Amino acid sequence: MIAAYSAGAALVWVVWVAAGFACLASGVAVVSFSNPFYSALALIGNLGSLAVLYLLVSAEFVAAAQVLVYAGAVMVMFLFVIAYVGPRMEAPWAGGPSWQTFAAVLAAGSLLTEIVVVIALEAGGSLGQDGSVGRDFGSPGWIGRIFLTDHLLAFEITSIVLLVAAVGGVILGSHTRRQVPEAAIPDDEREVAQVS
Amino acid sequence: MTGGAWLCLLAPLAGTIAILLAGTRIPRQAAGWISTASVFAAFGGAVWAFFSLRAQSGHDGEITTAWTWLESGSFSAGLQLLVDPLSSLMMLIVSGVGALIVLYSIGYMHGDEEERRYFAYMSLFVFSMLLLVEGGNLLLLLVGWGLVGLSSYLLIGFWHERPTAIQAAKKAFVMNAFGDATMALALFVLIAHSGSLSFATSFATAGHLSQTTVDLVALGLLGGAAAKSAQIPLHTWLPDAMEGPTPVSALIHAATMVTAGVYLIARTHPIFEQARTIELIAAGTGALTLVVAGLVALVQTDIKRVIAYSTMSQIGYMFLGAGVGAYANGMFHLMTHAFFKALLFMAAGAVIHALAGEQDIRQMRGVGALMPFTKWCFLAGALALVGVPPFSGFFSKDSIVAATLGLGWYGWIFWACGVAGAFLTGVYTFRLWFLVFPGEPSELVRRAFGSHEAGDEQDAEPRGHGSEPHHDGEGPWTMLLPIGILAVLATVAGWLQWSPKWHPFTTWLEPAARTLAIAEPTSTQEYVTSAVTVAAGLAGIAVAWAMYAGGRIAVPGAPAVRRALEHKLYFDELYDAVFFRPAAALANWTRTEFEEPAVLQTGPDLGQTALDAGGLVRRLQTGLLRTYVFFLASGAAVIAVVFLLVR
Amino acid sequence: MTGPGIVWYLGVAAFLFGTGALGVLLRRNVLIVLLSLEIMLNGANLALIAFSRHVHNGAGQIFALSVMAVAAAEVCVGLGLVVALHRRRLDLDVDALSELRG
Repeated sequence: MIAAYSAGAALVWVVWVAAGFACLASGVAVVSFSNPFYSALALIGNLGSLAVLYLLVSAEFVAAAQVLVYAGAVMVMFLFVIAYVGPRMEAPWAGGPSWQTFAAVLAAGSLLTEIVVVIALEAGGSLGQDGSVGRDFGSPGWIGRIFLTDHLLAFEITSIVLLVAAVGGVILGSHTRRQVPEAAIPDDEREVAQVS
Repeated sequence: MTGGAWLCLLAPLAGTIAILLAGTRIPRQAAGWISTASVFAAFGGAVWAFFSLRAQSGHDGEITTAWTWLESGSFSAGLQLLVDPLSSLMMLIVSGVGALIVLYSIGYMHGDEEERRYFAYMSLFVFSMLLLVEGGNLLLLLVGWGLVGLSSYLLIGFWHERPTAIQAAKKAFVMNAFGDATMALALFVLIAHSGSLSFATSFATAGHLSQTTVDLVALGLLGGAAAKSAQIPLHTWLPDAMEGPTPVSALIHAATMVTAGVYLIARTHPIFEQARTIELIAAGTGALTLVVAGLVALVQTDIKRVIAYSTMSQIGYMFLGAGVGAYANGMFHLMTHAFFKALLFMAAGAVIHALAGEQDIRQMRGVGALMPFTKWCFLAGALALVGVPPFSGFFSKDSIVAATLGLGWYGWIFWACGVAGAFLTGVYTFRLWFLVFPGEPSELVRRAFGSHEAGDEQDAEPRGHGSEPHHDGEGPWTMLLPIGILAVLATVAGWLQWSPKWHPFTTWLEPAARTLAIAEPTSTQEYVTSAVTVAAGLAGIAVAWAMYAGGRIAVPGAPAVRRALEHKLYFDELYDAVFFRPAAALANWTRTEFEEPAVLQTGPDLGQTALDAGGLVRRLQTGLLRTYVFFLASGAAVIAVVFLLVR
Repeated sequence: MTGPGIVWYLGVAAFLFGTGALGVLLRRNVLIVLLSLEIMLNGANLALIAFSRHVHNGAGQIFALSVMAVAAAEVCVGLGLVVALHRRRLDLDVDALSELRG
């Protein structure tokens, strides 16, 4: 835990700026690369910088989970699939900006602006960094205690969601169990047979 | 008394309901017997009411109220029945003649597939007519009026596979509806001025109305009466109504419904007496009709149509009588006419039945040789119709003609019409007689009677709807008995009253319909008139004998006149041009200009609009993920803005 | 500790979210779309964590963990779909996968 703050304020700022910059840059990179492999790698970088930011706000467990689960498992899965699917180069800006591009930029920009405006209006100045938190704020034990007492329902539901997703993933990814001769299936049924 | 009235009214209704409820569960013949029994029960009730009325001193009659039916503001009308001399007379006639005719129908309609429906309608009709005559206020009279129109429509169009029958039914109904409308308007005026439709109040109010108002009321009532009784100009429906079965013609279009107009005038005579001009117009209508109908009857070739025009003519006599103020004379002729006209129709029906549907008198020579009973009965009826003493028509008709003499210059015209009518009656009636009954049987007749030897029995299976009935020989007893009874009545009923000497009939009707003083002829006028009309009638018979007896069918000259008469004086063509064509043109114009483009197009237009709107919305479903996400994002943005603004 | 205030964190989070949204709307490759989706989710996570620190409530971190779990589940299913599509030789282009059109 970063407890020595006195001369560390500057350090905090430096770390914050670096991590934030990395976060934003990698985010833009994810959206911009034409090779999905590079995008995935950029995302890993994004996740890592986010973990640093989490650490700066004393959310240690979450930061660890971010690296372990998100970067470690989810992104690996992504990379596997990207490798399986093969290289597909797509020119991201091919065909010139269409009306959809403009509309999309507009929509995203407006969302962004709104969020900022909302926060500014609501907060009215009270969003300064305030006070210190307890020693075990953000610690695994603390998280675990909350999970199993105050937010037990969320815990259980999340686990069910994960179970369902696992089953779904297995079903979606499994091979066809029977090889039916192509000629015997009528056209509209052929796709159904293939998917299962 | 009132018990008798209720029995008389409700028994036929019970018969109708019983037949309707039983449906096909009862055999067809049973429906006929149910109906006959119900009408005989009604006759019993009428007799009971009659005798209790006689027992009452003063014979003023009695009104019995079942319950208050209609109440609106200051106007209230109850379900009231009236038993007074006039209504009890009509009850007897309607239920008595009706019972005989329904009995006759059992034999006539035997074998028809839809016999049950027929008898249900017949009972319904008798109920409606009794409601009309027993109604204790003008509202119930109007209800009965409408119901008899309905029953008439149903029965004329009974053989509904025949397009002519359906057209005739519609024609009858529409013309009667016109009369109903004028009557209703008259009643509205009465309600507006007196707030009540009971007889006493309305008659009392009539005295206080302005002359124009009471003239309008009387004119409205006269319109209804003329439509119902087939007087000129609302007469064209009656010949066509002969499309119905013969018993229907006998009951509705001879004995009862068409006489409702006369009953109306007699019942509402206080109103008419206030509007003397209208009453005289009624008399004039009657006089005109009796002559014109007599002329047209001279050239008719359908046996039933001759009798139909004869009915029209005789009702003209009744209108004449009621119009000049001799109500009792008009009602007496109504009674005797009911007997002999029903008799004539039923005898004609027997002939038609025997000849398997032939109605053209030019084919019918010599039927009398093979149907003697029918022949003699028909002769009795014919002599009664012409007014030969001692048959009943003589007593009733001549007193009407004599009653016109007191009226001044137009009285003479009416008198002349009456005499001319008697002459014409003789001619056309005995033209019919000579062409049909005496002499050698014609080819058709021999064939019809000869073919009934070898096993050609009366059908036990349904004969099929719409095909003509027929039987062997003279017919079953159910047909012959009523004919016989009516023949007797046609002969003797007139002896009830001979105006100069004894008049119990007039005396009986006095409390309800007192004859106007102006319409009471002196004895001399009576005797002279009687002599003249009888002479005219006999002269007519002689002319008919000269022209048609012994196998001759003389065709008189004047082809233009003959053609005009054959076209019934072009009334149908006139109405077609004046009423039907403009209405049809207007309807077509409305249809093409307004209904089709605007109204009918609305549905498809709405549908097309919905489809187009759907098509527009459909374009949102591009199938592209990006579009959907875009909409999602935009929607979220918009909602966020709204959320902010609201807070 | 006087590091950057919460506003800074929220700004980064908002920017991440917008970038991710842009990626989802503009890119045609299915995989890149999924990755952009992850960016958006991470932006939301950052905001949650920041607020959790700000109001001293653990619920934000719990929520963030749940979001992570759900993101994992969603990626699992999404990638399963990608694999299925690939198996059937379909083009992994969101513009080409438009059979559900009206």
